[in-house]
Amino acid sequence: MRTTNDQLINELLNIVEASTATVNKFKTLSANELNYKKDSASWSVLECIEHLNLYGDFYLPEIEKRIALKKTAPASGLFKPGLIGNYFANLMKAGPGKMKKMRSPGDKDPAGSQLTAATLDRFLKQQVLLTSLLNKARETDLVRTKASISLTRFMKLRLGDTFRFFVYHIERHVAQAGNVIAGIR
Amino acid sequence: MQQPKSFFEKLKALMETSGVEKKFSKGNMLIREGEVEKNLYHVTSGLIRVFLLSEFEEQTIRFGYQGSIINSLSSFITGKPSEFYMDAIRKTTVRAVTREQLLGLVNKSDENRQQYIQTIELAVTQQVEREVDILTVSPQARLKRVLERSPNLFQEVPLKYIASYLRMTPETLSRIRNS
Repeated sequence: MRTTNDQLINELLNIVEASTATVNKFKTLSANELNYKKDSASWSVLECIEHLNLYGDFYLPEIEKRIALKKTAPASGLFKPGLIGNYFANLMKAGPGKMKKMRSPGDKDPAGSQLTAATLDRFLKQQVLLTSLLNKARETDLVRTKASISLTRFMKLRLGDTFRFFVYHIERHVAQAGNVIAGIR
Repeated sequence: MQQPKSFFEKLKALMETSGVEKKFSKGNMLIREGEVEKNLYHVTSGLIRVFLLSEFEEQTIRFGYQGSIINSLSSFITGKPSEFYMDAIRKTTVRAVTREQLLGLVNKSDENRQQYIQTIELAVTQQVEREVDILTVSPQARLKRVLERSPNLFQEVPLKYIASYLRMTPETLSRIRNS
């Protein structure tokens, strides 16, 4: 994959913008629709969004810290994904058609927590922060800057891959939430 | 000579005669950040929570128990957009009056105006108390301060909201209650 910082950031910003627009529309739904679960194993719209919020709670401060730590080294122009980072990012990429079902790590499983419409607002605030971080990152070396992952502290990914993984993950679960609504109608 | 009614009693009477009744299910929102607060609520049954929402958490700053008067106060006074959210922690019924109705009551008599001033002064001292809460370092001390004001706290409010109000994790709250 050959891409420049700007191309990558712009692609990710577009996804964030689209996700924001979709979730904004969810704000008009009733509490029943937002909490609707097809069956006990499936997630409701609010559970999908809260899952994303929980990831944001880890990744947004982590990304912000890593961008701040790095001196504004001139961006190396081209972004090349790392092997493992690319694997994680592609794992998240919502393919056309049905998405693979995957289990969530225990502490990111939102089922059972009390969720209200404030969950949507919190997501939207996180997207505003994410957008500003993505823009700040244009001038950052997305290859040499590394960020931790939530699964284990023994591994760090290239910041560019962290952004890809994180944003594709958002895209995936917002699409999942959209499918829940489509299923109700 | 008859004891003058307190402002609180006059306000509740206004709610009864001219207020609008509203019902909220658990989790329903009374106001969101960005909206302007037009109402003053009297909680006739249930429980209301006022909270600040950041990217990372919902911070509970106030509870509206049954019998209390509550709203997003700064927005109500200034007419500016609310910084806070208000939602119903459980099924809740309120009576609401508008700012115009409240000021109508306040300006009805000198006595009412005096009583309103006293009510505002009391509210200011309560705000300062709350400010000291936040500045208190010891979690045990923070809990003690709040329990002195609201001894029935644990009977009324779910633990996670109490923890948020006390600015500690639910785990810390459990630990200091059990020690």
